[in-house]
Amino acid sequence: MQMLSYVGRRLLFVIPQLLGIVFISFFLIKLIPGDPAVLMLGPNATQAAVDRLRDDLGLTKPLVEQFAIYIGKVLQGDLGTSWQTTRPVLEDLAERFPATLELVTLGLGLALAIGIPLGVAASMQRRGPVRKVADYYGLLAGAIPDFWLALVLIFVFYSLLGIAPAPLGRLDITLIAPDAVTGSLLVDSLLAGDIEAFRSAASQLVLPVLTLGLVNAGPILKMTQSTMDRTLASDFMRYAEMSGLPRRVIRRQAIRASLPSVITLVSVLFSVTIGGAVLVEIVFGWGGAGQYAVQGVLNADINPVLGFVIFSALLSLAIYLVVDLLYFALDPRIRG
Amino acid sequence: MSVEAAGVPSPGGRPLPGQEWRGAASLRFFVAVLRNRPAFALGYGIVAAVVVLTILAPLISPYDPIRADPEAYLLPPSLAHPFGTDNTGMDILTRVIYAPRIDLVIAIAGTLVSALIGAPLGAAVGYYEGRGPIGRSLSVAVMRIADVLQAFPVFVFAICLVAVFGQSISSIVAAIAFVNVPIYLRLMRSQVLSIRNMRYVEAAYIAGASDAAILARHVIPNALAPALAQLSINIGWSVLLTAGLSFVGAGVVAPTPEWGSMIASGFQSVMTGQWWPSVFPGIALGLTVFGFGLIGASVEALADPVQRRALVARSRGG
Repeated sequence: MQMLSYVGRRLLFVIPQLLGIVFISFFLIKLIPGDPAVLMLGPNATQAAVDRLRDDLGLTKPLVEQFAIYIGKVLQGDLGTSWQTTRPVLEDLAERFPATLELVTLGLGLALAIGIPLGVAASMQRRGPVRKVADYYGLLAGAIPDFWLALVLIFVFYSLLGIAPAPLGRLDITLIAPDAVTGSLLVDSLLAGDIEAFRSAASQLVLPVLTLGLVNAGPILKMTQSTMDRTLASDFMRYAEMSGLPRRVIRRQAIRASLPSVITLVSVLFSVTIGGAVLVEIVFGWGGAGQYAVQGVLNADINPVLGFVIFSALLSLAIYLVVDLLYFALDPRIRG
Repeated sequence: MSVEAAGVPSPGGRPLPGQEWRGAASLRFFVAVLRNRPAFALGYGIVAAVVVLTILAPLISPYDPIRADPEAYLLPPSLAHPFGTDNTGMDILTRVIYAPRIDLVIAIAGTLVSALIGAPLGAAVGYYEGRGPIGRSLSVAVMRIADVLQAFPVFVFAICLVAVFGQSISSIVAAIAFVNVPIYLRLMRSQVLSIRNMRYVEAAYIAGASDAAILARHVIPNALAPALAQLSINIGWSVLLTAGLSFVGAGVVAPTPEWGSMIASGFQSVMTGQWWPSVFPGIALGLTVFGFGLIGASVEALADPVQRRALVARSRGG
């Protein structure tokens, strides 16, 4: 009950925030020089045709009215049309967002698999090679641009060794994508029983996931290590140590006490990476949501950008809610 | 005469030599810390090297950074071209040396602007939050705006800003400043919130100091350390962001030498096996950001009383 009211309050707080985000991005994109009507009709269009299209698109109305119309449509589930793909933005995003989501989820999963064990090991062993490795890895991972790492991986595994498939999208071009159910190619191909498509999708995922995993493991490692350090120095852990509990038990207790801050970091990383993975998406020709939004900005195509901003804001919202629920599960003090 | 003067302790003469001595001691302390933590020295070394190379670029670089030699395109690294040439025939080593002129200037300018806006604003917000209803509602408004700005996907937001202001160096600086302001705002606010209730602030208030004087003389100096540590780390991020913007074509335009656009221009060549146009600028970029990260870590360690004491103890002992 207490939890429900907490979640309710949280939602109440988030709706104005969401409106603010859409408001700012709407006016920001409207400020971008470039007339969509001119871009849509091409350089040979007559002035009359451009004027007619501007009228049809509602571009001649005052900005505030345009914004009100847009919000009204969004509330009915209509995100408008992209003039580049000439398709409804909602359809486009339904196709592209899962691609980004699959990539980011697996990438952060790998980052956790690298970051947490290394951070725990470095924290349990104050002086030693593991600690040094962890220190330098944390700094290096924060310094390497992900798009460059992606290129290096492509060079080594595709150009040089020829193990990895060509970085040209989510599936080998000769294969037909399985029916979209969840949007994740891995899951959909398994559902369709198409082993060949599954294998291809998995092999296309390896390098981009490796890129995101290696880069994002840095902050996770640092956070795990510093929280573990603080936990191990706290009174209750010293008491556990003095009571003669075995190292294994102490480590488990310290990990559990450090989990909330790691989870917070992962939730932040997740919402940042949804937009931030765009560079990796471009390198691998992924056709994800971030790429779609960037193309929109560069071509004065407002609806895809707004759609992307709304989608990622909703996703962050969902993630933060899940994190709050996890806190309830992990920290007995909040349950009260 | 001088021996006598040195021997006789004169109360008036003490402060001056004392100050000199303190300067020398802090320098010696700094050196001792660097010897104790060689990684910090590495950080300062890398950044110093980048800065020196950049300033001396016209003297030491073997070629013209924006002159293409169509005869010599995509040459592998050799004695004549230590880092090879790119697909238009420009010397990569020369361009790598010239690039920080753009990258560092953008990153440092953007970071400084964001800190100069964000830190005082954050201090004011933190200070006035408990001072009456007007102060509180203004503070809440500022923090909500910061929430909204931070909820944006950073990269898409930055590209939007560059698109709005037009593609130029000053608009990249503006975009970087804009996305970083909330960081300083938050850091300063949380520091000031805890400092505001200190006894010495109360004492100054009772003594009749004005709000501006309390903020400038007592609050801000004591709240600045985390923001300073953030500065160096943030310069590194900003270099990454600049390179990323150029990589998608929303930043610095070719043929201006810039690491991100160099990596982008070598993108196709990497697929066919010519790694050098992309790899070298990336290494230079990564090393620079790494250096700034190490400096940030050293500032953080020196600003944290607990870590500083440990460092002092070890530096004295070793």
